[in-house]
Amino acid sequence: MTAAVALSSASLDGATKLASAPQDARREEAAITLAGVGKTYAARDGAAEVSALQDIHLAVPRGRILGVIGPSGAGKSTLIRLVNGLERPTRGRIALFGRDVTALDESGWRRERRRIGMIFQHFNLLSSRSAFDNIALPLEIAGVSRAEIETRVTKLLELVGLTDKRLRYPAELSGGQKQRVGIARALATEPAILLCDEATSALDPETTRSILQLLKRINRELGVTILLITHEIPVIKEICDEVAVIEDGRIIEAGPVFDVLTRPAHATTARFVEGVTSVELPAHLRAALRSEPLPASLAVLRIGFAGPHAATPVISRLSTTLGLDINILAGRIDAIGEQPFGSLIVAAPGDIAALGATLAALHVLGLRVEQLGFIAVAPATPARSPCEEVSDVA
Amino acid sequence: MSPELIRIIIEATVDTLHMVLVAGGLGTLFGLPLGVFLATSKRGELFPAPALNTALGVVVNITRSTPFIILVVAIVPFTRLIAGTSIGTAAAIVPLTVAATPFIARIVEGAIREVDQGLVEAARAMGATPLQIVRKVLVPEALPAIVLGLTLAAVSLLGFSAMVGAVGGGGLGDLGIRYGYQRFMPEVMAIVVAVLVILVQSVQTFGDALARRLNKRLRHA
Ligand SMILES: Nc1ncnc2c1ncn2[C@@H]1O[C@H](COP(=O)(O)OP(=O)(O)OP(=O)(O)O)[C@@H](O)[C@H]1O
Ligand SMILES: [Mg+2]
Repeated sequence: MTAAVALSSASLDGATKLASAPQDARREEAAITLAGVGKTYAARDGAAEVSALQDIHLAVPRGRILGVIGPSGAGKSTLIRLVNGLERPTRGRIALFGRDVTALDESGWRRERRRIGMIFQHFNLLSSRSAFDNIALPLEIAGVSRAEIETRVTKLLELVGLTDKRLRYPAELSGGQKQRVGIARALATEPAILLCDEATSALDPETTRSILQLLKRINRELGVTILLITHEIPVIKEICDEVAVIEDGRIIEAGPVFDVLTRPAHATTARFVEGVTSVELPAHLRAALRSEPLPASLAVLRIGFAGPHAATPVISRLSTTLGLDINILAGRIDAIGEQPFGSLIVAAPGDIAALGATLAALHVLGLRVEQLGFIAVAPATPARSPCEEVSDVA
Repeated sequence: MSPELIRIIIEATVDTLHMVLVAGGLGTLFGLPLGVFLATSKRGELFPAPALNTALGVVVNITRSTPFIILVVAIVPFTRLIAGTSIGTAAAIVPLTVAATPFIARIVEGAIREVDQGLVEAARAMGATPLQIVRKVLVPEALPAIVLGLTLAAVSLLGFSAMVGAVGGGGLGDLGIRYGYQRFMPEVMAIVVAVLVILVQSVQTFGDALARRLNKRLRHA
């Protein structure tokens, strides 16, 4: 397989998207490469063996952020722990910056781990050490001199915005501050790779956002390649360049975040994405929805926008060119990176001819259309402005 | 109370402190590494040596379950070998150390097993060697609990040291038996008990305060 984010056969779509010529170059550049990796935990004390990962092909391009998302028990932590040798694969090969590390022994891995930072869901800070001393720990382990530690840790505290918390103990810090110490500690040895195991799962949404922004800054300014795992789509949407969806130990879909989130190919992905990228019909209209058209009912359609179309005035164009009366019932327009996407639920004339014309026009524009059903011409609360339903407008 | 008696009481107190401090010190010296080893040598741990772990565990349990007074008698040949004699303060230190070592080892083992495995994981991810993990993570993180455990050990040693008095060990226990019991001087017995109470109380207060200072898990004002 040549794709940069190459996957098991399930994701043909992702593979074709990625299998273009520059991908070969990118693969050589990959910071982390997993090829055909499997991990089986041996049976022990009567517990049966567990096949945690199977046939994983994954490449994290140098300097990018790749997010792995999946339900609990899918093998996410196992996957990330393979990358710094905390777990060893039972099959397949692992390479870091093109160097095969599959066969490294423990002391070889110890050296390798100094180039790989790791942050944790529960921060894992030493309660007996101040913020300063926690950040100093990996440097002490690496045998860095006291003077050098002093200058480096001071800079790191500044980087994560905790200069004034230098001598505070973890018990005296908030969750977000603790994770900042964790990040500074992970960066202390100036690693080329940062691994994040559910780094924001224990934080509230606002703190999560600030930690994600910090990670993004570290990625952009220091060029650190980030592999993060999460079970939250917003984390993927906020900072990742690429995403891999994992379920039952297999990668079921992967590719650029925008593509995977706006056009999920797999049902599990669609379930994750639901509610984040798509929009639901308000409850009072959902109750009025019926599957068969009545003589003068309106058809309810969900239109998915992705890329340039999201910005074009699709609705007004339909109204003017086709002379159709289209009513917006609910909608959301958002962006991933610079690329806008959105979803609208509209009511269009429900008679066969007009509906056919509408669908054809939408199809021509390359929009995804889903027919939700029909409602009577005058919905119970027609006065309600659709704008009230518009959420999260970019 | 005669000045002679006061002198004898002070001497006995010094002897007791001497025995407890030396046996406690030696017990810590042997018990700390033994405890660390017991806590880190099962299968899949930092220094995996399950057979040795089990063997040492059995030895520790045997020592711990032998009543102290029987232990003292049982190891008399060993005491003679080490101290050259089997009576007196120096000789008493041997069985006290033998009793203190497994006691402290179990305390240290328990304290280290309480340390969050996530910290070991984090240290491994930094590239720490097993020894670095012990020195920089496990022991410092377990220190407040270890100090509390050592306090408990010191209090037990005070009790044991009084017991060795019964077999010619010197110190406050010896004084209590010889004067308080055999010569029937109840006031001496009362003073011996009072001094022991004060010693136990001071050791406990000091240990608690030290553990509290070391414990950074609490928010200090
Ligand atoms: N050390 C281990 N020994 C045996 N089985 C394990 C071990 N670690 C993980 N597993 C099993 O491997 C599977 C994947 O676990 P893993 O921790 O990688 O999942 P995860 O995706 O990180 O889940 P979560 O989101 O709940 O953290 C699970 O079935 C788990 O029980
Ligand atoms: Mg996990």
